[in-house]
Amino acid sequence: MQRVVVTIASVIGGLAIWEFIGHYVVKNALFLATPSASLSALGDMWHQGVLQKAIVISGEEFFIGFFIAVVAGTLIGLLTASFQNISLVLTPWISGFYASPIVALAPLLILWFGVGIWSKIAVVISLVIFPMIINTEAGIKHTDPQLIEAARSFGASKMQIFEKVALPSSLPYIIAGLRLGVGRGLIGVVIGELAGARGGLGFLINNASQVFNMPQLFASVIVLATAGIVLTAAFQRLERMLVPWKA
Amino acid sequence: MEGVASAASPAKLSVRGLTKYYDDLEVLSDIAVDVADGEFVSIVGPTGCGKTTFLRIVDGLEPFDAGEVSIDGRQVTKPGPDRAFVFQADSLQPWRTVWSNAAIGLEIQGRLTGAERERLNRLLELVGLKGFERYYPRQLSGGMRQRVNLARALAVHPEVLLMDEPFAALDAQTREIMQTELLRIWSAAKSTVLFITHQIDEAIYLSDRVLVFSRRPGRLQEDIAIDLPRPRDPSVKRTPKFSEYVGHIWNLIESAVRESVMEETVVHS
Repeated sequence: MQRVVVTIASVIGGLAIWEFIGHYVVKNALFLATPSASLSALGDMWHQGVLQKAIVISGEEFFIGFFIAVVAGTLIGLLTASFQNISLVLTPWISGFYASPIVALAPLLILWFGVGIWSKIAVVISLVIFPMIINTEAGIKHTDPQLIEAARSFGASKMQIFEKVALPSSLPYIIAGLRLGVGRGLIGVVIGELAGARGGLGFLINNASQVFNMPQLFASVIVLATAGIVLTAAFQRLERMLVPWKA
Repeated sequence: MEGVASAASPAKLSVRGLTKYYDDLEVLSDIAVDVADGEFVSIVGPTGCGKTTFLRIVDGLEPFDAGEVSIDGRQVTKPGPDRAFVFQADSLQPWRTVWSNAAIGLEIQGRLTGAERERLNRLLELVGLKGFERYYPRQLSGGMRQRVNLARALAVHPEVLLMDEPFAALDAQTREIMQTELLRIWSAAKSTVLFITHQIDEAIYLSDRVLVFSRRPGRLQEDIAIDLPRPRDPSVKRTPKFSEYVGHIWNLIESAVRESVMEETVVHS
């Protein structure tokens, strides 16, 4: 209980300081929007229906891209972990892309896929798929060899060892990959929309920044931040539920 | 009395001329032994003498270079449902409950029928885990996890039970208790047991015979029959006959143990 109180107090305190700074320190409204102004802009956007439309568009881009990246990334990770030839061929590319700021290639994806949601979906996939591959592969490779031996001693086939030992053992890593993917995916949505879009929260941010409408800009960022926090927390919950043995 | 195979009672486990190399290093040299059905046989010897390798070969987990290993006359080359291995480290799956872990051998072998489930329930009771079926390994003490290990191995009704220092990771008192428990469970399950340990008194207390392996390359130095009455309880450890056996075995391996300790010292200096 104590911890919840401190957390809430910290958030409220932070917001109060931000409000104070916005009114009395950085008085130029072009540089900083106060929490109150941002929330008021949020309310306006909601009443105009602008916010809902943007959330739907960005939401589609995020969830479709995230889903595809997770499924494909997990499958590829399972393949690279299980077959050395595949791993040798793919690993230099996977490591290379993971380490590079490929999000900078967003304009290129706009060129290829157009200004609709599919270019943004592509950006999200490009950001989420690599940690998924790497985490899944790590999960399989970190399977406790003693557990594998125990299964072998009962005469388990390679398929059975994969199904009954490697896969459940890698679950914590896969879920950690999901958790990491959330933040990256949201970045992908925003940057993709900044590169070229007809709607969405990143689109709103872009418009707002061009006319220096700070409250609207801040409001959009707040919505994205909230989505990130909620999704990350949801995956943490999932992690605790599905893999309780990893303290 | 030695566990000698005869036409009347053929050996359960028969090993002839077993030799194994790791690259150029000979780790087992011409091992020959017979184990009768239902016998409890311990293996002792200095570190590096190949005891664990021997056990793993019998289970089919490792290949060998010469000789033969057979159970009931059948040659052994891979793991099978006729044998089960109890590892030193508890290799329990943390995401499965006690019951589910104990059932995994049956599950892998496709034998998890309704009747087997019933038998497994009773087996868990036999090893002292009644009431803990839904617990997870992380909630159990070391001794209890080894009981699950044991239940898991016994669940597949192995003809030969292979145990590799199963109590080494337990504290001394838990170990004493587990020894007596093992005897109780073994006399109920009636399996043939090959048991590796570094503790000479543990070997003598549990076994019908003690095989003493020599230093690398591992050879069967001596096959000692333990002529102590059964059922045994811990007080037998304090009888003069028991001490004689301890002395005898210690004499056999003492010089080998000293040499290997010295060797390790020299290598590290």
